[in-house]
Amino acid sequence: MNGLKKNIRIFYLLSLNALKITFQARIGGIFFLIGKIIRVFFIFLFLSLIFSRTRIIKGYTFDQILLFYLTFNIIDTLSQILYREVYRFRPLVVSGGLDMVLLKPFHPFVRVLLGGIDYLDIVLIVPYILLTLGIYIKMGSFHWGNIILYVALLGNSMIVVTAFHIIVLAFGIMTTEVDHTIMIYRDLISMGRFPLEIYKEPIRAVFTFIIPIGVMMNVPAQALLGTLSWRGVFSAFLISLGMLYISLIFWKYALKKYQSWGG
Amino acid sequence: MLPLIQVFKTTIREYAAYRLNFILWRLRMFLNLLFNFFLWSAVFDTRSTFGPFPKHAMISYILYANLISTFVLGSRTAEIGAYINDGTIINLILKPVSFFKYYFARDIADKVMNIVFALLELAIVIWLFNATLVLPQNIMLFALFFINGILISFFINLMLSFIGFWTPEIWAPRFLFIMLVFFISGSYFPLNLLPPPVYHALLVTPFPYLFFLPSLTLIGQIDGAVILFQLFFSYFWVVILYHLALYMWKTGNKNFSFWGR
Repeated sequence: MNGLKKNIRIFYLLSLNALKITFQARIGGIFFLIGKIIRVFFIFLFLSLIFSRTRIIKGYTFDQILLFYLTFNIIDTLSQILYREVYRFRPLVVSGGLDMVLLKPFHPFVRVLLGGIDYLDIVLIVPYILLTLGIYIKMGSFHWGNIILYVALLGNSMIVVTAFHIIVLAFGIMTTEVDHTIMIYRDLISMGRFPLEIYKEPIRAVFTFIIPIGVMMNVPAQALLGTLSWRGVFSAFLISLGMLYISLIFWKYALKKYQSWGG
Repeated sequence: MLPLIQVFKTTIREYAAYRLNFILWRLRMFLNLLFNFFLWSAVFDTRSTFGPFPKHAMISYILYANLISTFVLGSRTAEIGAYINDGTIINLILKPVSFFKYYFARDIADKVMNIVFALLELAIVIWLFNATLVLPQNIMLFALFFINGILISFFINLMLSFIGFWTPEIWAPRFLFIMLVFFISGSYFPLNLLPPPVYHALLVTPFPYLFFLPSLTLIGQIDGAVILFQLFFSYFWVVILYHLALYMWKTGNKNFSFWGR
């Protein structure tokens, strides 16, 4: 219990430092924020353009596709708020600075995974949640059960997201390659912006069974729409826990192989 | 010319040295291509045309636009901003080669490396998913738009890096530019699907000249009545952006100071 308290206290201090850093690069931060808003705005515009000439894509309406897209944004933004520090992991490995993190008497994930809260993305998460709720209510199929399941499955998606980030960290320790790996992860999850039904085999099978993009990005939206079976729900929880377990084994393996670079 | 050929060769060797980096980068690009390809294929599941585009024309547009954007946008200029910030730029300024030509040679090497892989990726998509392509048309006109697109991209990229002369925050404006390029240059859809006032307004900006018009020309969908207007604007932007980049370079050099080294 004391260990948990200490880790929370250190997380709080690191988050406070991250806030100070955010205020130091205000102009850059504003530009990044504008860029992200533009990206979401243009995807909305793009979807409106497509649906101005067609009513459904692979059985999904405009509102339903928007729910998938917004769910993707909520998960992606949450992961960026929490795990931004992973993007800065490489310099720590190649400089030998990771030694200092591993020697400290707290869990290294507090520093290398959660140590750099991204405050700018907090600004974005609120409109995403409000838009999701607004569209869901507008669709006229409001159901509390679906919303509770949706929130639970969002939590489940965050477990998969966490597992992916731990794998990226472990891969970084073993190869010193982080920058592209994390961006490949981002591109892979971007494939789940819309329902996986748009992809043909074998791509769809890969995103369902090998890299669980569907579990991460599609399953919560399916629950909200009431199209997810209980078997699907249990499989999603099982897959996410399995992923987390594998990622932790990989992390431990990477630490055993770590020889300290640079320094 | 000989030093520039050496610069070209050295840049290619740099890629060979950092193979994993490059392969991972291409994997990212391939994923983006797949997303766009499948999304549009799904749209055509229940219909045979979308606006003025039959299915094979739209898929050809998406695939050609991807290929052309790989060449047009491929650039090494992003590193210049960091070189200005840490003072390394002084090593390049002292070299007896024109800075613009030096980076253009590096850019061409980058483009060549990328296009080789992009062609391979295109072949995979065509082979694996039976995509039918419209055979390239209007090659001469395409070449004019294409060369202008390369130059427009080069000068804009240079200017984005030259911001480093005035501020260390060089990545945020580039991120904003990339966001704009993805959407208003036509990588997700042909811009002529937009409402006419928006489309015509975009045509006076440099963005459609990067790869939208070259791709449209290649699939034979360009509007013959306005070709001269569009060609004029592509040359207009090349000239304007060249002078702006040159102005920023000269002014930046005058203001530039650094510590150490």
